[in-house]
This record gives sequence, structure tokens and C-alpha cells, in this order.
Amino acid sequence: MVDLKNLIEITKKIISREDVKYIVGYKKGTYGFQIMPAFAYTPEDAEEFIYSPLCSKNLAVYTILEEKLPLKRGEEEDKRKIGVVVKGCDSRAVVQIIQEKGLKREDLVLIGIPCRGVIEPKKIEKMFPNQTDLIEVIENDNSEYIINIGGKTHKVPKNELLSDVCKSCEFPNPPLYDVLLGEEVEITETEEFSKINELDEKPTEDKWEYWKEHFERCIRCYACREACPLCYCKECMADTLNPQWIRRSVNLSENTAWNIMRAYHLAGRCISCGECERVCPVNIPLMELNKKIERDVKKMFDYTSGLDEEEKPLFGMFKPDDPEDFIL
Amino acid sequence: MEEFEPNIIGFLCNWCSYAGADLAGTSRIQYPPNVKIIKVMCSGRINPMYVVNALQQGADGVLIGGCHPGDCHYSRGNYLARRRIAVMKRLLEYIGIEPERVRMTWVSAAEGRKFAEVVEEVTEDIKKIGPMKKIRRENVW
Repeated sequence: MVDLKNLIEITKKIISREDVKYIVGYKKGTYGFQIMPAFAYTPEDAEEFIYSPLCSKNLAVYTILEEKLPLKRGEEEDKRKIGVVVKGCDSRAVVQIIQEKGLKREDLVLIGIPCRGVIEPKKIEKMFPNQTDLIEVIENDNSEYIINIGGKTHKVPKNELLSDVCKSCEFPNPPLYDVLLGEEVEITETEEFSKINELDEKPTEDKWEYWKEHFERCIRCYACREACPLCYCKECMADTLNPQWIRRSVNLSENTAWNIMRAYHLAGRCISCGECERVCPVNIPLMELNKKIERDVKKMFDYTSGLDEEEKPLFGMFKPDDPEDFIL
Repeated sequence: MEEFEPNIIGFLCNWCSYAGADLAGTSRIQYPPNVKIIKVMCSGRINPMYVVNALQQGADGVLIGGCHPGDCHYSRGNYLARRRIAVMKRLLEYIGIEPERVRMTWVSAAEGRKFAEVVEEVTEDIKKIGPMKKIRRENVW
């Protein structure tokens, strides 16, 4: 459990330092179960920081979104650090970005939070629809969420609202941090991401029927790309015109190509935060693709992403004895 | 009814597989004409999106040829390709595209006979599963 006072105190202390530009954290939203990202430039801004099981957003994405304009003559580069509040998966995303040389470790201040799992917004909105007031959710020690709505207290078992990816999370504690709030969470036995196994056993035609139904719905809004902390290419393959890898038209063929490309580009990089699936407006189970690749990569190459800054990227290295049973 | 003749795109590496295919030709070895060869400098050059795009644009199967492990002209290209294609193949299989459609092979410049055999095998497999209609691009203009 994260002590809020502690969080604010530490944030204030860090933002008062001269070499820190701003800190990204969570603050209350405006209605329902919303949580917003907050940017603290001064110690006063840090007052509104919160942490609750509703904080499902992956803030690591903000570290790479910062736009660096060309410098004017005589102007010096702002070399101050950026602070981020990170959960287990967010921290892994940061490690992965550092590993790919997208960020430098010395440019970051990481406030680590041992995560006990976050609530899936889609699930809680289904359970308590159309809320206009701001609602707070607290987790108690008996694996229950206490939700106060209009003076009425609801107790909901944790398992009903917990995000699917959190159920199978193996790294709730951030592997990389400067300050850790509270004590590390004990790693309990995790469920396997079982949806993959079910589909894996079906014949090819059934698999295609399943994915066809999903990909036909895709509107190619690219929200999955924008929310993903690891989709930070300056120019995405989907946006290039020469060569045009994917045509602009929204149809089954192009949608499938896009979804294959997105999943494949995250092979050996995805850190299973589940943001892509959370932001998808048409509820495509994108995490199934990511988890499938993650499991294959683990099985074939014994590789886990986002744990070691010094490790080489999966597709940038090889072992002479990689599996080659599929080769004729 | 006419028998289905598949279109197979062969991405062959310049140094081994392409020379292997060349040898098959000069040695007058018969093999099915279904494979359309695109020469690339190295199997590591093959972007896995080539495979998807080929299937979108009318190929019924894709054959990727590289040097034997350890023989790569650029010393490690075929090892990298092996990893990439292994992951891509499994992803395509999971999405519901028959795994027989994407094949990879090691053919050296001396293995004209092997190249002919591989092409025969791939063509036969794809004839069995029929044309690729799932992700075919419709509006070709």
C-alpha cells in the first residue's frame, strides 16, 4: 500500500532539486473512475499527486513524448532531468527504452511504486455504469476493493476488477528506480495468460474466424500505437508513403497487416502493461498477440524484455543454436 | 476444372540460394515454375513485413532462402533472419494463416538438386491447402 503523504513528500523533495525539470504522476480526474496524468513543475503542483488502484496508465510514455525544439543561437540545451512515477511494468518500459538507447539513465528520476495490480477501467465501468461524480477506490488487506458511490459502500473482490495482464504479472516490483515507496510486494504465484492456450489448440480456420471478427472491427485509429510506451519511432512504418507498407483504406487485409506489424514490432520488447488493449475503442484483444509472442520468445530464445539495461535487443543478436526445426 | 497453380514468392539470398537456383537451372534440373524469385543481398535483409505484403498482394506462399548457418557472406545475416522468421511464422500461425505458406530453407550455391526438391515440396504443400484468400488485398488498381 502506498502512503500518499510519503509520495507527496518525496515528490516535493525531488522537484525542489535544481536538476529536475518536472515530475509526471497521477492526479484525480474530473468524473467517474477517471485518473489524469499530472505534471509537477513546482513543489505546490506536487500536492495533487495521488496513487490508487485506478492508476492504470503507463506514464513511461511521457518520457519519450517530450518534444525537443531546435536551439536558437546562444541558447543552451535544457539538460534537467524528468521524474516519473513508475509501477513495475512502467519501470520495465523505461529499462527497455534505455536498453534501446532511446533515453539516458542519467536524464531520469524514477519514483518506484511496488504495484499490487490495477483496475481495468473497462471492467469497473461495466460494473458501475454512468457515474458522474468522482469516485475513489481503496484496496484493503483482504484482496477487496472498497468503492464509495453516493454514500453507499461497495466491497468488490479484487479478482473481479483486476486487469487481465495484472493477473499474470511476474514483475510487480520495479526493476529500476531511484526511490521506492513502501515495501516490495511479495511475488505470489501467477495465473498463466490462459486465453492463448485455448486458441492455440483450435484448428487454423477457427483461429482465423476469431481474429477476422476482431480485425474487421478495427478502425485503425492507431490509439494502440500512441498509448504504447515502446512505440516511439520518429516515423512509424504505418505512416511512410514510400514505401507504403500499409494502404490507407480500412479493410480486413490492411487491418490485419497493421495488427501483425504492430504486434511483431513489439516482439521481445513488449512489457505487458496492457495499455494498447485498454485504449482500444473497439475492444480488440491485442494483449493476446503480445503475450503469444512474449511466450514464444521466452520458449525459443529464453529472453525476457525490460529487465536489464545492458542486454542486447532480441533481433539484434543471435545464438548459433537457436531453434531451426521449421527450416526445410 | 483447371488445377490450381499457386504463386510462390521466393526471396533468395544473392550468395547462396540464388546461386543454388542458378545451378539448378544450368544443370537442367526440372522444378515447378510456380516460384517467382526475388533476389536479395542477404536473408537478413528480408523485412518480415515483406512476407505479409507478399501474401496481401497475391502470393499463395513465400519461400525464404539463405546460406547455411556459418556460411553467410555477411557472417551473421542468416542467423538474424532465422530468429525473425521463427517469430513471424508463429505469429501468422496464431492469427490463422497456415504455417505451410511461409517456409524457410538453407540452400548453398552447390545444392541445385536440393533447391529443386524444396520448391517441389513447397509447391505441393500449397497446392493441397489451396489459394490464399484471407488477407488478399481487394482493391488493386
